[in-house]
Amino acid sequence: MIKFITKRLIIAIPTLLIIIAFGFIMMRVAPGGPFTNERALPPEIERNIQEAYNLNKPIYEQFFIYIKNLSVGDFGPSFKYKDFTVKELIISGLPVSATLGLSSIFISLILGSFLGIIAAIRKNTYFDYSIMGISLIGICVPSFVMAPILSLFFGLYLGLLPTSGWNGGNIFNLILPITALSLPQIAVISRMMRSSTIEVLNSNFIRTAKSKGLKSSYIIRKHVIRASILPIIEYLAPASAGLMTGSIIVEQIFGLPGIGRYFVVGALQRDYTLVSGVMILYASLLIILILITDILRAYLDPRVKI
Amino acid sequence: MQSIQKNIKNSDLLLEVNNLNVFFDTADGKIQAVKDVNLFINKGECLGIVGESGSGKTQTFFSITGLLSSNGYCNGSAIFKDFDLISASEDKKREYLGKSIGFIFQDPMTSLTPHMKIGEQLSEIATFHDNLSKSEALKRALNVLDIVKLPKSRNLINSYPHELSGGMKQRIMIAISLMCSPELIIADEPTTALDVTTQSEILNIFNDLQKGMGISIVLISHNIGVIAETSDRVMVMKGGKVVEKGSTFDVLTSPKDEYTKHLLSCIPPWLEG
Amino acid sequence: MNKQENIKAIEISKTLKGRSLWVDARRRLFLNKAAVISLFTLIIISIVSVFGPFFLQYNFSDTDWGSIYQPPSFETGHYLGTDGNGRDLLVRILHGGRLSLSIGLIATFVSVFIGVLYGTIAGFFGGKLDIFMMRIVEILYAMPYLIFVIILMVVFGRNIYFLFIAIGAVEWLTMARIVRGQTISLKEKEFIETSKALGQSNTLIIVKHIIPNLAGPIIVYITLMVPSVIILESFLSFLGLGVQEPLTSWGVLISEGSREMETAWWLLIFPGSFMVITLASLNFIGDGLRDAIDPKEY
Ligand SMILES: Nc1ncnc2c1ncn2[C@@H]1O[C@H](COP(=O)(O)OP(=O)(O)OP(=O)(O)O)[C@@H](O)[C@H]1O
Ligand SMILES: [Mg+2]
Repeated sequence: MIKFITKRLIIAIPTLLIIIAFGFIMMRVAPGGPFTNERALPPEIERNIQEAYNLNKPIYEQFFIYIKNLSVGDFGPSFKYKDFTVKELIISGLPVSATLGLSSIFISLILGSFLGIIAAIRKNTYFDYSIMGISLIGICVPSFVMAPILSLFFGLYLGLLPTSGWNGGNIFNLILPITALSLPQIAVISRMMRSSTIEVLNSNFIRTAKSKGLKSSYIIRKHVIRASILPIIEYLAPASAGLMTGSIIVEQIFGLPGIGRYFVVGALQRDYTLVSGVMILYASLLIILILITDILRAYLDPRVKI
Repeated sequence: MQSIQKNIKNSDLLLEVNNLNVFFDTADGKIQAVKDVNLFINKGECLGIVGESGSGKTQTFFSITGLLSSNGYCNGSAIFKDFDLISASEDKKREYLGKSIGFIFQDPMTSLTPHMKIGEQLSEIATFHDNLSKSEALKRALNVLDIVKLPKSRNLINSYPHELSGGMKQRIMIAISLMCSPELIIADEPTTALDVTTQSEILNIFNDLQKGMGISIVLISHNIGVIAETSDRVMVMKGGKVVEKGSTFDVLTSPKDEYTKHLLSCIPPWLEG
Repeated sequence: MNKQENIKAIEISKTLKGRSLWVDARRRLFLNKAAVISLFTLIIISIVSVFGPFFLQYNFSDTDWGSIYQPPSFETGHYLGTDGNGRDLLVRILHGGRLSLSIGLIATFVSVFIGVLYGTIAGFFGGKLDIFMMRIVEILYAMPYLIFVIILMVVFGRNIYFLFIAIGAVEWLTMARIVRGQTISLKEKEFIETSKALGQSNTLIIVKHIIPNLAGPIIVYITLMVPSVIILESFLSFLGLGVQEPLTSWGVLISEGSREMETAWWLLIFPGSFMVITLASLNFIGDGLRDAIDPKEY
């Protein structure tokens, strides 16, 4: 097991290096970037950057130093917020984004799989049709349409829920953003789960289980779910990537001070250090998620060797 | 002749199927896979079913045991010891399936749950039907492995299906059907996927079960040679209909139906007699 | 038999088999009501977007300070209302549709082109090259690709042509995977073996035999890709990183609408509906096509 994880991590390193190199190169070649000459910056920031990036040293050494700094969580100073380092900005946004992201991924996985299984068991009933109909809405209505509509309806017209702000993580402030973020994923996951469950239910080994006279609820629990959840596990990383990008929109619309918000502001203001810091953070998270996917897959399917 | 058969039928009857029809809804409309099948099985007897591929052998017994695909349905009656399996509720049917009736499927390679250990796939049936504890059920599983001539090893109990050979999987399938000492075993082409040596070993196991333990067996095959070796009576199917039935000796020595004659002409000569 | 005749025979057998397959698939597609209705809807939206603006009395950039935030009304001729600059919403939605749909098509084309090329090369030549090329795809898969696009847009400026390329450049990965898989299975087929034996060059084999046989999966994939590209473009425009004024797209309109929904709901609802209907239609067409080409019975 430990060997498997180390092997996977070693494979992941080149990926991460490429992403870091991309961020590094981008900062150097980008027009108006921190290292081009035509900049006209306030002297304090100028000095910060000079120090942080050792501009007098050769470029490969700069890259090396950059990686070394990253490995201890030092993303360098922000290019636009002169009093903050990128790390400080990320840490200040992390609680918001992590709360949003983690609750959404759990809700989507649990609710999506659950609805998918029920729809598969009750295939071609009104329950199935309504679940699939609703999930179609989730798929066809992108988050940047869904979020404002939710906020318009529940916030402005019904006045039930606050439409913006973090408010210290108050649950009422979270309901709309989490809903807007989870709906598309619930939709995708429930459809995937439905079709994979139907496939498993039609398989020979389920026929064997039925021939044993076992209860259907037991068959579903022991024989069906572990096989039919595999595609969902595979979807874990893409779903999380979807949530990361979704949270950029949702934080924007609901005025939440998360990492996604900083990312957009950074992108609009060409704050290259901030943008590449967020990119590296997200990429590392995805790599970890892919690792988790591999482990889960090996656990669920004994045919996979680890 | 007729009256003698009637007699046997009444005294020792285990399963009697009357006017069984099986239908499927498909993209091209409704099709009938089994047409008005009548059959019976006595206690301790081996009934052979032969017929070409697609003749409805499997679906006949799927419908009796309620294992048809979701697009299939059936009518008729299948009386198992005074109890009609076809009109029974799901719950009631479950009491018989796995307990009194064991089913061995055509394709052993895909018929075991890939993510469950062999031990659990064997023992769950006994914990469910006979209320055994997990360890009692595992003990029984080990004994049953002995009957199907597999090593009584913990190792085997702890392995997953993909770690076993085709022949071993088929033996496991047989072991599953034996877990609750059934009165009837339906074996759907249990030897087709196997090599000749393994084939005859498996057939020997069935022989032991029938002769030694008095279990009734339905043996489905398209190999009439296999049937000749094991069955007391044969039923020949074609296109969803029964075209001929009778004692194995009668059918093989003086076939009346053209199709049966054709089937017989396909057996290699060393199996005859 | 000489070489020419051989090749001809291969061609004919292939087209024949191909043709009946397509006829079958088309029949199944047209039996699928949802797909047919969606196809019509999509055609109507496209035609209206392209030609509609010529028949409307307003221009998409005409500002009219006398009639800002007008709700939808038939009397004024602002059928879907006006925005904060008094511009007609309907005409802007149609213009936005032109842009969103064409970005969808062009970026999809770019990504299909890259994906098909990459996938066939990897699959056809196999071996070390294949392993290497697929490793790259795997690495790129692990990237948060939307963030990637955002960064590309930041670095190279918010240029609409660059938007096509940036989107195309990140969307080709799945296409490459599918095509590679198909190529590998096709490679074993007889007609390819024969062509090889006849000494046709690799390029010729790829262009004449492999690529035409990939039509099915490519078409299905396009119907999945177009909506995701449209969403991606709108997403970027929504954040202010995509299409820039005075041009407009559905994403830009939705973004404006969501900022002003408290005063003028129509600015959000109408562009949103156009987009959602288009996405839903593409989705149904995609499902229909997939079922038609590869029917599965449940
Ligand atoms: N789910 C289904 N939907 C539609 N038709 C089916 C379905 N299952 C079986 N059939 C049809 O029922 C007929 C009988 O099938 P059956 O499985 O009983 O054949 P068989 O005699 O067991 O053949 P084999 O020797 O190949 O196992 C076949 O023509 C088959 O096409
Ligand atoms: Mg069969």
